[in-house]
Amino acid sequence: MTIEFKKNQVFFKNEVGVEEAELLLEWLQKKTAPKADFSACTHLHAANLQVLMATTLTITAWPVDETLTVWLQSALGVS
Amino acid sequence: MNPLLQQFLSEARDFLQGIGEKLMQLEKAPTDASLMTELFRYVHTLKGNSGLFEFPEMTRVLHAGEDLLDAVRNGRVRYSQELADRLLDAMDFVGMLCDEIEQNGAIGAVYANDSARLGESLRKLNVSAHHPVEDKANHSDNPVETTENLTSAPARPETAIPVEPPPAALADIPEALRMKAYAIAQAGTPLCWLVYTPDEQCFFQGQDPFFLARQTPEFLWGGIVSREDWPKLAEMDAYRCLLDFHLLTSAPHTTLDEHFRYVADQIKIQPLSPLSFIIPVGDTNGGPVYEDFVGDALEFLETGNFGGLERAALTMLELSSPDLWFSSALRWLLLVLEHDPDNRPVLSGIVESLRNLDQPEWLDLQSQWQDQTVLTPTIPAAVSIESTETALPSGIVSLSSIDDFVLSLLAIQRQILLLPITESWQLGRIKSVAATLQGCLKAIGEFDQLASLAFAAEQSLVQSAAVPLLSWLDEQFHMPGKMAVQPLGSQSIEPSKPAETVETQPAKTAVAHEISTTADIDGEIKFGRRAEDVTAVGAKSLKVDQAKIDRLMNLIGEMVVSKNALPYLAGRAEAVFGVRDLSREIKAQYAVINRIAEEMQDAIMQVRMMPVSFVFQRFPRLVRDTARKLGKDINLIMEGEDTEADKNIIESLGDPLIHIVRNSLDHGFELPEIRRAIGKPMVGTLIIRATQESDRVIIEIIDDGKGIDPEVIKRKAYEKGILDEMALERISDQEAVNLVFAPGFSTADVISDLSGRGVGMDVVKTAIEKVNGAISLVSEKGKGTKIQLSLPLSMAVTNVMIIESDGQLFGIPMDSVVETVRVPRADIRMIKHSLATVLRGRIVPLKPINTLLEISAPPLANDDDELAVLVVRLGEESVGLLVDDFRETVDIILKPMSGVLAQISAYAGSALLGDGSVLMVLNIKEMF
Repeated sequence: MTIEFKKNQVFFKNEVGVEEAELLLEWLQKKTAPKADFSACTHLHAANLQVLMATTLTITAWPVDETLTVWLQSALGVS
Repeated sequence: MNPLLQQFLSEARDFLQGIGEKLMQLEKAPTDASLMTELFRYVHTLKGNSGLFEFPEMTRVLHAGEDLLDAVRNGRVRYSQELADRLLDAMDFVGMLCDEIEQNGAIGAVYANDSARLGESLRKLNVSAHHPVEDKANHSDNPVETTENLTSAPARPETAIPVEPPPAALADIPEALRMKAYAIAQAGTPLCWLVYTPDEQCFFQGQDPFFLARQTPEFLWGGIVSREDWPKLAEMDAYRCLLDFHLLTSAPHTTLDEHFRYVADQIKIQPLSPLSFIIPVGDTNGGPVYEDFVGDALEFLETGNFGGLERAALTMLELSSPDLWFSSALRWLLLVLEHDPDNRPVLSGIVESLRNLDQPEWLDLQSQWQDQTVLTPTIPAAVSIESTETALPSGIVSLSSIDDFVLSLLAIQRQILLLPITESWQLGRIKSVAATLQGCLKAIGEFDQLASLAFAAEQSLVQSAAVPLLSWLDEQFHMPGKMAVQPLGSQSIEPSKPAETVETQPAKTAVAHEISTTADIDGEIKFGRRAEDVTAVGAKSLKVDQAKIDRLMNLIGEMVVSKNALPYLAGRAEAVFGVRDLSREIKAQYAVINRIAEEMQDAIMQVRMMPVSFVFQRFPRLVRDTARKLGKDINLIMEGEDTEADKNIIESLGDPLIHIVRNSLDHGFELPEIRRAIGKPMVGTLIIRATQESDRVIIEIIDDGKGIDPEVIKRKAYEKGILDEMALERISDQEAVNLVFAPGFSTADVISDLSGRGVGMDVVKTAIEKVNGAISLVSEKGKGTKIQLSLPLSMAVTNVMIIESDGQLFGIPMDSVVETVRVPRADIRMIKHSLATVLRGRIVPLKPINTLLEISAPPLANDDDELAVLVVRLGEESVGLLVDDFRETVDIILKPMSGVLAQISAYAGSALLGDGSVLMVLNIKEMF
């Protein structure tokens, strides 16, 4: 799995595909203060991204890939 | 070449043909929606197909065409002659690319420019035809109209708008990165701002816009924003794309086009000037308190003391918290000092901005940047210093220099006001001009006029037009004309304009929102288009290589021949073996096989049949183009386009017909003025009509032009030595007119002063006769000309009559056979050295076929001493051939002679008979 849920935290790994967006959305709908860890993530399908953008999210770890981090930070409103 | 490409090329040609045809039809009925839709579908499908291959040059042009047609289809752009012209040009270009691909397997790089130019010209049409609607849309509340406008926005060339405001989102880029970008841009690498608005349904098409955006070449910065407010999570649809991607890249425009070629309609690229990056950000810390520094800095600038300015700025920077807006501006100041120290307007602009902590406004400087496309605008130093001074109310300058400068400033304001206002954000200009004028009034001490200025400015804003302010300006200062032509280089930075920034923001949000709606609509349209594609694919026709059909044709020919052996077999069974019953059974079987074989033959003929529209379809274009070139008005009427004939016949028709039609257009029709003067309708009528008459196709080309003057033809023919004096007297007008077909008649110098028919008419005649056709011409001086072509339906099967002579069998094509008669030997006379007889009161010359074929035997008579005479047609005359006996007529498949035999022109070819023997078919015309 490229996406893993543990309690309140979601872990993204490698390349997260388009199908995961639905799972992610379902999971987010149930959580009140979700956290996200991108440390092992190399790419995220845009569908996942927009689901995350629609949520208030605490990010515990940014991706190793710097350009991806820049993108994500612009999208998720943290700089 | 792979089969897919081959199929694409063959289909592309069909589509191009179809597009041309539809355009022609539209010319007659520009409002026909169904035609338009079909035309659009052709272009759309062709574009889609071209996208399967790496042919960006082709796809680009087709895409532009598609956009344009879409606009026409939706009534946003009106159909016009010019539009048709450009589209036809574009399609010609695509056709040329097809040829290129067929020859070389790829498109050469040399076409890239043409492609871009054509694409641009199509897009321009889309835009220019667009403006009136756009204006209306801006003032109307109709959201559909507005969004439709924006659909074409990416297509709009950047230069169409005098000054494009830098994207607001630029401020989102971290300062360090912006500084880096500034340095890059200042160093000469153009930077682009790219907004990528993916289709809402793009996830379902297997796209990942984020991935595409991340892969952007020469990527510097990227940001993602949502198109609209996020819905509640519970109601959210994860698979409806609401993301917009903003990208900063240093890649050239073409590379970006290449990268985003599949979503070309979803991106908007805007070139950025280095100045657009200078956006100080940070905490304003309660307001401006830096008056001293500003004063000092301006003084440094004025005296050109950059070192002093730099030191002062560095000191201030050390003293201030780095998060302050002020510090940010100082950092920018230092950066500009480092990279572009000569650009004083920018430097002073930044310093000025420190006074009020307002964004420095680069709009005017950017317009300069765009106009000059020079990265470092060189502005006369003296003027810019003056400008800085006047902008300062406290500036100490001499009265005369105020006057001069104020006047030039006013002239610039006037110029700004003269710019057209087409977008709501451009109203900001009026505000800025008002602010500048206010400053000017204060500077020259005209405080009394402030109220009237405020009133005029308000009027301008209310009316969304510059006129009230403009007339105020002219009234107050009696602007002399020469003022208006002040060089733009003297333009200065205007005092900062808080009003404009405020104004700009809501406008932008509105635009962003509208874009999202656009994408929505676009998405729906696309789905509709897919459905259309499906119907287009479902056409029930099959493309077969002609060689396969020809093989089938040969096979059926052999089948017919071997079938014909059966009656012989039946005859032998009865005569040789004496089994009459078997003979009867064989005959019965033969009847069955015969019927099937005939049907089969017919079916294959049908396959080879093509409608004459194959040739006719090029005429609307030919007539239109030629007529326009010649300045004539011609209405083309085509009839019987679905008349069918064998493929070979149809194909052989093409060139002669074009020749005839061109002649008719060039020489037949008079110019409209002349037509009117002689009482003819201004518009000439050209009729091309195809009809079927028994087993022949008749094609008529009729014009109502000036016709052919037989007298002129006669004289010319005499001069050319085609006619002698005797013939000249005898020849009828009709015969004279037909002289145009005579070889040697058709040389240019003869023709140019004639009514013209005859340019290469002998060539036309030869081509038609090659396929056993005939051509005739009827012309009446002043009324028009009618040319009639008569062609066999099919060349494959020839009906011949078999004759016998000296124990040999020969075939004579039934086309040329007039009649068969038995003439008593007594009725045959010798006239001079030739034989002749009288048939129904006409003298018919007789020739023994044996003599013609150099057979020494004399013709045989029958028991009643009658000779068999086969009367054949030879041009306009009849000749009797003396043969030994007549046999039956048969349908044969004529095989042309090959090898050394091909040299013998007396034979048209050979055919196999049922008993396996070979029948030589004579070519009557060549025998005499």
